[in-house]
Amino acid sequence: MTIRVLDQTFVLLPEGAVLLGDHERSLVVADVHLGKSAAFRAHGLAVPEGDDARDLARLKQLAGAHRAGRLIIAGDLFHSTAGMTPDLKRLLESFVSDLGIPVCLVEGNHDVKLGRHPVPAWPQLDASGTRIVHDPAEATPGQAHVCGHWHPVVRIAEGRRSLRMPCFLLRGATLVLPAFGGFTGGGRIPPLPGDRCFVALRERIVELPPALIRR
Amino acid sequence: MPSDPLKPFFSVRKWRPFRFQRDCWDAYRDGKSGLLHAPTGQGKTLAVFLGPLRAALEESRPGCQVLWLTPLRALAADTLRALREPLAELAPQLAAEARTGDTPAALRARLRKRLPFTLVTTPESLSLMLTHGDFPERLSSLQAVVVDEWHELLGTKRGVQTELCLARLRRWFPGLRIWGLSATLGNLEEARQTLLGESFPGSVEIEASLGKTIHIDTVIPREIDRFPWSGHLGTRLAGQVVREIEAARTTLLFTNTRSQTELWFQELLALRPDWAGRLAMHHGSLARAEREVAERGLREGSLRCVVCTSSLDLGVDFSPVDQVIQVGSPKGVARLLQRAGRSGHQPGKPSRVLGVPTHALELVEFAAARDAAAAGRIEPRPPLRKPLDVLVQHLVTCAIGEPFEPEAMRREIQSTHAYRDLGDAEWEWALGFISTGGKALAAYPRYHKARLENGRYGVDDRRLITQHRLSIGTISSDPAVAIRLANGRALGTVEESFIAKVPIGGQLVFAGRRLQLVRLHQRVATVKPATSHAKGRVAIWGGAKMPLSTELSRALARRLNGHGPAAAEMTAVEPILAIQRRWSRLPDDAALLVEHTRSREGEHLFLFPFAGRLAHEGLASLMAFRCSRETGESIHTTHNDYGFSLTARRGLHLDERSIRLNLSADSLLDDLVECLNTAELARRQFREIARIAGLVLQPMPGRREQSQRSLQSSASLLYEVLHRYDPANLLLSQSTREIMEKQLDFSRLKTILTEIEERPIHLVETARLTPLAFPLWADQLFATHHGGDAATRLETMLRELDSAANTGATTTTA
Repeated sequence: MTIRVLDQTFVLLPEGAVLLGDHERSLVVADVHLGKSAAFRAHGLAVPEGDDARDLARLKQLAGAHRAGRLIIAGDLFHSTAGMTPDLKRLLESFVSDLGIPVCLVEGNHDVKLGRHPVPAWPQLDASGTRIVHDPAEATPGQAHVCGHWHPVVRIAEGRRSLRMPCFLLRGATLVLPAFGGFTGGGRIPPLPGDRCFVALRERIVELPPALIRR
Repeated sequence: MPSDPLKPFFSVRKWRPFRFQRDCWDAYRDGKSGLLHAPTGQGKTLAVFLGPLRAALEESRPGCQVLWLTPLRALAADTLRALREPLAELAPQLAAEARTGDTPAALRARLRKRLPFTLVTTPESLSLMLTHGDFPERLSSLQAVVVDEWHELLGTKRGVQTELCLARLRRWFPGLRIWGLSATLGNLEEARQTLLGESFPGSVEIEASLGKTIHIDTVIPREIDRFPWSGHLGTRLAGQVVREIEAARTTLLFTNTRSQTELWFQELLALRPDWAGRLAMHHGSLARAEREVAERGLREGSLRCVVCTSSLDLGVDFSPVDQVIQVGSPKGVARLLQRAGRSGHQPGKPSRVLGVPTHALELVEFAAARDAAAAGRIEPRPPLRKPLDVLVQHLVTCAIGEPFEPEAMRREIQSTHAYRDLGDAEWEWALGFISTGGKALAAYPRYHKARLENGRYGVDDRRLITQHRLSIGTISSDPAVAIRLANGRALGTVEESFIAKVPIGGQLVFAGRRLQLVRLHQRVATVKPATSHAKGRVAIWGGAKMPLSTELSRALARRLNGHGPAAAEMTAVEPILAIQRRWSRLPDDAALLVEHTRSREGEHLFLFPFAGRLAHEGLASLMAFRCSRETGESIHTTHNDYGFSLTARRGLHLDERSIRLNLSADSLLDDLVECLNTAELARRQFREIARIAGLVLQPMPGRREQSQRSLQSSASLLYEVLHRYDPANLLLSQSTREIMEKQLDFSRLKTILTEIEERPIHLVETARLTPLAFPLWADQLFATHHGGDAATRLETMLRELDSAANTGATTTTA
């Protein structure tokens, strides 16, 4: 689904990524949290491995399918130092070299605690008028932003039950991406008037009518 | 008993020991273990405690000789009081102390050095003590373990934890005597086996029969025709209840949910404002201080009435009251009898419970409960079978205490009733789970909890040990939010899911007060008393809804069928039953009554299998799923303890054959899994399992939560990750199994379907809603049946929203 935010065009993808309208065709995802399950195991919690490789494979497939010219991670590519294992470093190096397009990381709160890693990092990025920062709180009014950090989830009223789904949240000119990582949770963001909410429904994106959103 | 050292205790009081007490002492002297049960509590504590005490008086030895397990730490204080009384007179040199989660650090440290003659503790605290390597040494004089209120633990994971701890103690001390105290159950033999383990020859079962009679009476509403056919909040009889309370010195008024407790407390105060201060409330979510006020008031007799929930069900020798009132459905025979036992503790005096129906058919329920009690048809409590989350927790607990050798440990585990048929695969999995991650080894690199060294499993990482100690215990609950007044006074806790629904400034009723939510911050909800003119919805906070037991349902069906002696309840409810008979017919358990009727909403089908609300919920979803598979119509369902209903715009005019097909037990499991989205339910159930198995970290006290934030994950996320990368993990299948039983009452559902196959079906076309159908129709909380995964459900919702918008304002959609 294509949406217009100020003078910018965003293509929301059902995989939880956004394609920017800049000349480089930048693909943006947020909150991958690589190494999270390894951090758990290191602390004696029996969580199986596999999500890091799967997340990176999904990223690679996505970038190829949409012929992206650049991959931007809007923060929290990594989870913690305990999860930064030699295995993960190797996995990441081969990912970057196989991808064939530049990878840029906008540093998130989890990334800044880490030492050296194979992905070049910036505090923020600009892509032809769209600013990419990690935390939506850093967005400035009057400009289109793409952010992460919140791991937004929406609750959809369904009679007595409710359905919980990760979503894209557009608040003002700020688009908050759902968390991309397979081992990431989410938080419900209390809706404000004017918020727009998009969820993946099979292979497409739909905008949720406000009547369906549980407040 | 001429030279009996116990004699002074009894002669001072001019008491004579009961027969059952002497039986217990003799059995104990003969080295036997056993189960002592009684419908009501009296003298049970002395029966099991004086045996070990007599032995200690006859042959003095140092150290801890009796471990007393109590299911609730709130009961520990009462128990101590009861145990210290004979100690003070017969053996002042012997001490009794309690070690629970509430024990102050100073006493805890003292107990680490020296254990008293009798230690009162909970299953969790006992488990925790097993993690200390010197525990067996410090317990070396142990003679007996008493498990109080065993019926409360039986059938729960805490019960299984108790079984495992007892197996440990039995292995250390082969001559150990184990005694259980229990209320009357329908499966006492099984209860004893579960407590004592697989090989326990010569154990005894003793009934504390005092020839005590129990009267079940009912408040009969004066105007039955104006009495509601449904309505679980009915306080219509409050006026009559006030007069009953006036007539007694002390009254316990039991309700079924915490919200009813709040409601009745308010209602009684409104009718008798002069009772302020002499009326108290007691439920599990109140702050301890608040609860203690009620308990003390009961003991001292300064309270006229305490409105309570099952939180006061426990406590064998808890202060007796003059009168017990049960508001709303008794739900089960054993439960009603136990509550009745709270009154008239004095021997020879009858126990009496007064039933207060909140709708017409509950009159029949009370009559039915009386029938079942008289016939001795009491509910069983089936024990749990090999929950693996509890097993892996216990294995880590043991490994921390002292490294264990796997074959010996396996024999020990299999000596319990719960794990008697633990298979090779399950055992190997459990060992793998605590050490390397298991067969899916590749999926768990660098993981270890217990290490295998020299053929023994042990844990040496200090951090992991601390972590495990914090997470011992198996009771899990919704994350609790503390309710506090602005001055910091704690009122209690509520479930997070409840408080999340109250807007800031919104009203709620809690702890007998009307409150207004001021702020919700980090698991603390700050409230202030609501001003009387404050407007808005009052959120009344509810408790779990338990199903009517099979025994009571059967008795109810027999009553409706005209069996049983004359009863005031039946006379009172007759006008309503007459309407039911005239418009349709009375349901019973010999046939299945199905009513079909039409209304503006379309067609309704009402079925009355009398199988309890959980099984009905499953049946309703199953039938709705099968019908909508054929017609493509969206079907609404409701359910209660008597039956369930289906509503659709069309397509419900079924003949007997189609009804039978829709209720067939064929491919039952597959259809249920598909229609109930069991995956989602199991994911929710996984929260408890993940906690017990140690997959989710408990917050460390004294440490900032921040330091562990990077290790927080929700159980539902873990469930997905395990599903994806370790689908053979046995905790996943356990989750599905538990959800089937807990949420769906699956065994009962299956039984009822088989029974229905044998029964004739009475299909009746009714012109309007019958008294039995009305409550099902009126249940405004319509659950719409949308099958399938999240995407399918969302698609359906979007489509419905679309079509509602297209047909204009004539239809209203939520």
